[in-house]
Amino acid sequence: MYINWQLKQLNLKIVYTGPALSGKTTNLEQIHAQIDPQRRGDLISLKTNEDRTLFFDFLQLELGKICGLTPSIQLYTVPGQTYYEATRKLVLRGADGVVFVADSSPDRIDENIEAWKNQFRHMESLGVDPQRIPLIVQLNKQDLPNAVTTDTMRRSLDLNGSPVIEAVAIKSRGVFESLKTIIHAVILNVQQEIT
Amino acid sequence: MSSSISPQGQINLRSGVIMYPSHQKAIDQQLDELLERTPAYFLMLSDSAGQVVSARGERANINLAALGSLVAGDMAASQEIARLSGAYEDCQLILREGKKLTTFICEAGDSLVLLVQVTPDVPLGWARMVIRDAAASIGTIIATPPEEGEITPRLEIENINLGDFIEGALNELRKG
Repeated sequence: MYINWQLKQLNLKIVYTGPALSGKTTNLEQIHAQIDPQRRGDLISLKTNEDRTLFFDFLQLELGKICGLTPSIQLYTVPGQTYYEATRKLVLRGADGVVFVADSSPDRIDENIEAWKNQFRHMESLGVDPQRIPLIVQLNKQDLPNAVTTDTMRRSLDLNGSPVIEAVAIKSRGVFESLKTIIHAVILNVQQEIT
Repeated sequence: MSSSISPQGQINLRSGVIMYPSHQKAIDQQLDELLERTPAYFLMLSDSAGQVVSARGERANINLAALGSLVAGDMAASQEIARLSGAYEDCQLILREGKKLTTFICEAGDSLVLLVQVTPDVPLGWARMVIRDAAASIGTIIATPPEEGEITPRLEIENINLGDFIEGALNELRKG
């Protein structure tokens, strides 16, 4: 979070996490494709030769004013592949909110659980209390046959109050709802933190 | 960790940076001096999460937001490389020497990162020295409590429907 009272700037960082190939980059691509080009920057992607996320994807959005401040929302993804654990941790640094993109395939429950636990380990190693960071879960690929239900995912990840949003990111379903939900939670959290 | 308010009224965030007008003024002065003294072709100050604080010099068509994210990533990766290889020291400095421009990326305190580009006619030893000095000064400035009387405005969001507002703002973004 970066606040400049003189310039009335409020910059927030939201990170999309989740297992490999769950649709984190697809979320940013969909947002990028649908936003007015005047109100967003380029989509920056640091990829491997195989088109997989190497370090992060990045996209900045400019929202309208909220009570005099102009929020700028910076969206990042982490690399999902296990091999890139070290860089995944670095992207989480300074995050104001997290969208965990889970894969609804029943075969990938274990990967979801591992990525879910992994992000908390990283937060703790960065000195961040995971309880204090707004976090939502996007249950992506709901169009798959036998897609995991919200109730099953809640049990698998042992979710308490975190919102769960069903999505088919490749068709943009649930993408903006997830974005709206996390921005809402983050701004409420900012208000609590600075007052 | 949790946020707290110091006796001077300064808010200490769990993470991130709050820039008060007194900080802004002092940092602007440091950056102006650095630009002239080095002399630098381009410089940019961002926080360690990639948020751009300020920039000076020949920007051309640089996308500052993207550059901020990459600088923060570069510094974070270099810090981690140093840590893993047992070579970590405070005030990390990355040097990328080029034929047209040489780029320095330097920690400025715990939370800020300074990028400076110089042309080949600027001696690297000199540039390194003035950049390190400026980075240290900026680190000191941002760690200094705000001046007395600098009041933190509140985000007056209690009386608005935030959900409606954000939905409206995102719908507005999609109109283009």
